[in-house]
Amino acid sequence: MASDSALRLSRIRRPLGWALLALVPAWAALVWTAPLDSVQGVIQKILYVHPPLAYGAYLGFVITAVGGALYLWKRSEVYDQLAVAGAEVGVVFCTLMMVTGPIWAKGTWGQWWTWDPRLTLTLLLWFVYLSYLLLRSLTEGSERTARFAAVYGVAGTALIPLNYFAIELAGGRAAHPENLERGSMDPAMWTAFGVANLAAFAAFLYFLVLRWEVEVRRARVVEAEAQHP
Amino acid sequence: MSYAIAAYAVTLGAFAVYGWLLHRERRRLERED
Repeated sequence: MASDSALRLSRIRRPLGWALLALVPAWAALVWTAPLDSVQGVIQKILYVHPPLAYGAYLGFVITAVGGALYLWKRSEVYDQLAVAGAEVGVVFCTLMMVTGPIWAKGTWGQWWTWDPRLTLTLLLWFVYLSYLLLRSLTEGSERTARFAAVYGVAGTALIPLNYFAIELAGGRAAHPENLERGSMDPAMWTAFGVANLAAFAAFLYFLVLRWEVEVRRARVVEAEAQHP
Repeated sequence: MSYAIAAYAVTLGAFAVYGWLLHRERRRLERED
């Protein structure tokens, strides 16, 4: 018998799945038809996947902090489960961001990686939340771990603004392109970029809710096994 | 062209595998519950 939380999450997940199925073909069509960049050519189209993955990673880590803070306040394990889901989906998005970025770099700079402030901080951010997941997987089910993880998750978000503003903070020494600003692209490129962000956001929410549901169900199965070994 | 295709293939492929793994785990837990 599924818990109320698992059933509620299951009901939220379905419309998100339909929204995602509708957005992915629109995303693909707009990426295909978006005008070619006069300098970079077709490789610039990685723009419609790499930054949306970065925003998804940031969002996942913020959700980990929010879930952790709510857990510390309310002491309800459902918030701790949300924090775990946010961290895992955030790490998936962050990993893909760190794969698509070097693909663009290889085609544009001629090298996969450089120790630029943004790239270095992104790698650090990835390690921080990968460590969070390792910590959780090695010490499953303890309240003490949940409390420590909540504080760790909240503290980890300090890296997000540092990561986002790394290029400005580097003061011209950054190799990574600057953050996008309105008017810096053709309107058709902006439309494609907007829909790409919507599709990535729908994918993020779908995975988050599904992962949260898995965590809720897993805790319930562990609890049932503990009561009737 | 191949760099851009590689970036999209890796992302969509990883999403498909991750979604499949999560669904498989959800169904397993549903059966055990």
